[in-house]
Amino acid sequence: MTDTRPSDLGVEARDLDAEAAALHDIPAPPLGRRRGARDALVCIGVCVLVLLAFEGASIRHAGQDMKHGWQRTLVLVAGTPAGALSDASGLGSVKDRTLAWERSNDGSGGPGGFRADSGPAVVGAVTPDAIDPRALGLRPRAPRALRTVLVTGDSMSQPLDAELARSFARADGNATVVRDPHIGTGISQSDLLDWGSEAAAQVAKRQPDAVVMFLGANEGFPLTVGGRSVECCSAAWTAAYASRARQMMNTYRQAAGARVYWLTLPAPRDHARQTISRAVNVAISVAAQPYRAQVRIVDVSALLTPGGRYRDAMTVGGAQQIVRQADGVHLNAAGAGLALTAVLDSLRADFAAGSVPGR
Amino acid sequence: MVFPSVPFAVFFPAVLGLSWLLMPHPRLWKPFILAVSYLFYAAADPRFCLLLAGVTLANQLGARLVGRVATKRGADLTVAATVVVDLGALAYFKYYGFFVSSVDRLLDDLGLGAPLPLLNVVLPVGLSFFTFQAISYVVDVRRGLCERASTIDLGIYLAFFPHLVAGPIVRAREFLPQLARPRNPRDVAVGAGVTLIAFGLVKKVVIADFLARNAVDPVFAVPESYGAPDVWTAVAAYAVQIYCDFSGYTDIAIGIALLMGFVFPQNFDAPYRSTSPQEFWRRWHMTLSRYLRDFIYIPLGGNRRGAVKQVRNLMITMLLGGLWHGAAWGFVLWGALHGGALALQHVTRGRIPALPRPAAWAATLLFVCLAWIPFRAPDLTAAWAFAQRLLVPGPSTLLTPGVAAAIIVVLALQLAPSRPIAVLHERIMSARPAVLGVGLAVTIMLVAAAVPGGAVPPFIYFAF
Repeated sequence: MTDTRPSDLGVEARDLDAEAAALHDIPAPPLGRRRGARDALVCIGVCVLVLLAFEGASIRHAGQDMKHGWQRTLVLVAGTPAGALSDASGLGSVKDRTLAWERSNDGSGGPGGFRADSGPAVVGAVTPDAIDPRALGLRPRAPRALRTVLVTGDSMSQPLDAELARSFARADGNATVVRDPHIGTGISQSDLLDWGSEAAAQVAKRQPDAVVMFLGANEGFPLTVGGRSVECCSAAWTAAYASRARQMMNTYRQAAGARVYWLTLPAPRDHARQTISRAVNVAISVAAQPYRAQVRIVDVSALLTPGGRYRDAMTVGGAQQIVRQADGVHLNAAGAGLALTAVLDSLRADFAAGSVPGR
Repeated sequence: MVFPSVPFAVFFPAVLGLSWLLMPHPRLWKPFILAVSYLFYAAADPRFCLLLAGVTLANQLGARLVGRVATKRGADLTVAATVVVDLGALAYFKYYGFFVSSVDRLLDDLGLGAPLPLLNVVLPVGLSFFTFQAISYVVDVRRGLCERASTIDLGIYLAFFPHLVAGPIVRAREFLPQLARPRNPRDVAVGAGVTLIAFGLVKKVVIADFLARNAVDPVFAVPESYGAPDVWTAVAAYAVQIYCDFSGYTDIAIGIALLMGFVFPQNFDAPYRSTSPQEFWRRWHMTLSRYLRDFIYIPLGGNRRGAVKQVRNLMITMLLGGLWHGAAWGFVLWGALHGGALALQHVTRGRIPALPRPAAWAATLLFVCLAWIPFRAPDLTAAWAFAQRLLVPGPSTLLTPGVAAAIIVVLALQLAPSRPIAVLHERIMSARPAVLGVGLAVTIMLVAAAVPGGAVPPFIYFAF
């Protein structure tokens, strides 16, 4: 028997014959006036021409910043001539000036950027806090209270940033946790976001007492050294990466006024990425050397992937738990919990008890 | 490869041109469109293509056997076996970790701790969509609602790049007839396609991502840091964000398909103007609710076997609908809430006076928005922590003019009379192709300039 009463899913429950009659029971969107395929091609063709003329340089930059592969080749095939056309005609600059009001202030191109010709890097003077008073037979200084923590980086900084913010919120202290992730960015691809400028902008805006940095899921792009492009992950690339990281560390430590907690990258599952993460970790370690008094390396790599060997799961609280996301790169909540413990331990060593959540 | 990306902006015009060039020659067009669809999918991970091809071949084998088996029971068993293969792939890739960790935790709680093998299984993008479409094919062939397709037609149906990764869920009987003959090159909805792409980009990149950054993500990450005004702002903002994110994606998918000569069903119809949960499911993710109706609710008996069984059928359907979205208890709770609301509406119909229309609208909107909390929160503990903050006083820090405007504009457009909007839409769609092209280019440039750091976050439904 056919039942045609309205069902609670908003449709009529029918037998199969009735259902067969009800083909296409969801309407198509309004289709408007029909035209020819030639019109479709004209429409998309005009759109492409306008974009090539005004966005050619952006397309070229996007291609240059992509990892090697057919997608990069495809984008560069269109972007290289379009970028040249855009540069020569000046249309790209017109577009940039016209849309400048809309662009968010994401630190790109601001002061302190990697592209700025700031001359040879100058290592800051050694400050008194680099000296352990106990080594001089003096009383140790009372640690100061922690007021603002900035957690930043790329997608690696999530969900660690939320875990850290939650632990401070639950502790009900006075410290504020500022989360500022920049997904898809990296130190070695400054067209998307110039981390040198971004660090300066973050410090100017937040003046954090502590900066927790977890960055490196999108690294491995060529870096320019002495006017020539250097591929990852040679010693020259690692040194260039370390120079950029050191510049950021110097910015974040605010002339010794703040502490920086830079997390190493746990080994990813993919072997090609392991080479990159190894180079990044070496670069971070080298970069921090002049600032050991203010920059702490939190070795999450040793914690989660001892010996540089990838693992999905490990023993946490007596039970085996998966600690990585399925992509084999990022940490899941359990993994971020372990990283959080390491970060909090480091914060407690530098700041007053009571201003950092306890164990 | 995602739609709002530079690689797709280069990929699509080339594919569109070649597609219309080859369209009069199906023997060339079909391998071409299949190849570019697989190329599109391989951009995420080439290994996923093997799974897609495997699902295609398994379902084609099932459909062939259905036609050859002489008995009705044999045909039913063949369909059941094919569906088990599809659901097996879905279960392994999507639910293995959820199942194992849930059982592991339960055994631990019972003092029977026995470590189960933990595997970190990568979820292939779009798996939930193409396995559901594959099931629709073999079941519709069995029901006689569509003819068995050639293998290449089935391959195109499942892999067609506009709907491959996040729908809409197009039924075999809707799509396969469109492959039967070349699309008519004098019958292309150019204006509709271009306007859908432009509106979809604005919805996703300008509205959804803006609300996510400024009102949703901060509160859901650390609800403990916010008071009631901000938490309620996040609730309203997430309702608008998920609508703009998902409907934006499907708008773009439908628009791209239209430019290629194919028609997909609509997926959203102003869902936040609904005055009951039942109406909401007529307007929200319509291709999924139709699927759940046809493949779960009606086979379970629908409303034909009494009120108690109807309530049971609704609950089962909506629980499975929730679980379809992802392997997490939050989705199950979301499904249970909607199933419960539909059941309540059914049980009370005619027994209590109906609410006045404005009150019914407000109650439905409030229910739908609150039900999004477990859907969005990373786990049930976080959802509970979030819900507790709904009543905790505090300052309002997130309801900026931009956030308020985004929420109000989207809701107002859904509540506004549809006629004037339709007239305006019709006018835009009727513009000359060159004007439409310039308009789309300007939209893309404005949208690109609005993206901080140049990176568009993934669509929410890519995770499902």
